[in-house]
Amino acid sequence: MIEGLVQLFLWQGLGELASKFLLPSIPGPVLGLIFLVVFLIIKGEVNEPLGQVADSFRQHLGLLFVPASVGVVLFLPELQTHALAVSTALIVSVILTIGVTAVVLKVFWYFSLKFGKGQRHE
Amino acid sequence: MNERLPISEIWVYLSGDPLFALIITLATYQLGYILYVRANRNPIVNPVAISVVLTCLIISALNMPYEKYFEGAQFVHFLLGTATVALAVPIYNGFRRMKGKIFHMWVALTAGSTVSIVSAVAIAQWMGASNNMVGSMYAKSVTAPIAMGIAERINVSPTLTAVFTVITGMLGAILAPYILNALKVQQWWIRGTAIGVGAHGLGITRAFSVNEEAGIFASMAMGLNGVISAIGLPIVLTHLRPYLGI
Repeated sequence: MIEGLVQLFLWQGLGELASKFLLPSIPGPVLGLIFLVVFLIIKGEVNEPLGQVADSFRQHLGLLFVPASVGVVLFLPELQTHALAVSTALIVSVILTIGVTAVVLKVFWYFSLKFGKGQRHE
Repeated sequence: MNERLPISEIWVYLSGDPLFALIITLATYQLGYILYVRANRNPIVNPVAISVVLTCLIISALNMPYEKYFEGAQFVHFLLGTATVALAVPIYNGFRRMKGKIFHMWVALTAGSTVSIVSAVAIAQWMGASNNMVGSMYAKSVTAPIAMGIAERINVSPTLTAVFTVITGMLGAILAPYILNALKVQQWWIRGTAIGVGAHGLGITRAFSVNEEAGIFASMAMGLNGVISAIGLPIVLTHLRPYLGI
């Protein structure tokens, strides 16, 4: 547990540094993520403690954005005024996002199976 | 302690302590999680939504200002960055499985996240939502930790972004099976990818409970979508902002 956390903190720190001095438009943790992916590809495996910590983060990711979401109390009147616009935008956008992603992949995959060479069949 | 403290003084002491905010946050989430598991992981019973609603009710009932609450809760909030870095693991695990599909995934992810942003922003603006609301639509389809990082960079409210993200995740997890069945999408990896882009965290949990391959592709799609958006959005927006008038 601790071992995995230490690794994550180090990559995060590296990402923050890179964000501060090299690429200020990208959030530090995202750079940390990219560094870690590259490191894992080079290394060819995920070590046990890192895998465990990453798993528990994935399971309870939601808990971490509770504090920020509670800030919604500050926006309640504004949200009420625009409730219809906000909910329509969110619902339609979700349907389109999932639909478009799936259709693009499906069509694309179909064509590459038909015309591509040596793709494995699913 | 010989003198008995009046209850109000105990209260003043407790509410000034960061521990109090931590306890509300964790306990309400724990309660939400128990209910979620009891409800067979039905996405409508979302532990995050339950926790947020209960916490809001508690702090408003106590007249506790949000800033005061956040002083304590920031210790949880801090871990968001670390959780973002941890997304590297599912992305890496997904990479190993997507040999021969990298290009497809890339195109589909770009298409999906573009549609997600453009549709949400356009509809919200067209229906007359305030700039605050419209701005927070940009990053809502990205997993919350990355979304809030992006929100800070493009000067929109991280709070509203987080709230919209949570709602998007719930909606996506609820609606995804119907959308995908209606479109007759059968391959698990395609279903997973679509869910990862559209419904992030909550969608992934759902995908994993149905099929492992779908779950792995969903995790990877969510992570990659976050990375693409984190790199692309600030660049695109700085060029587009003058024309959008936001």
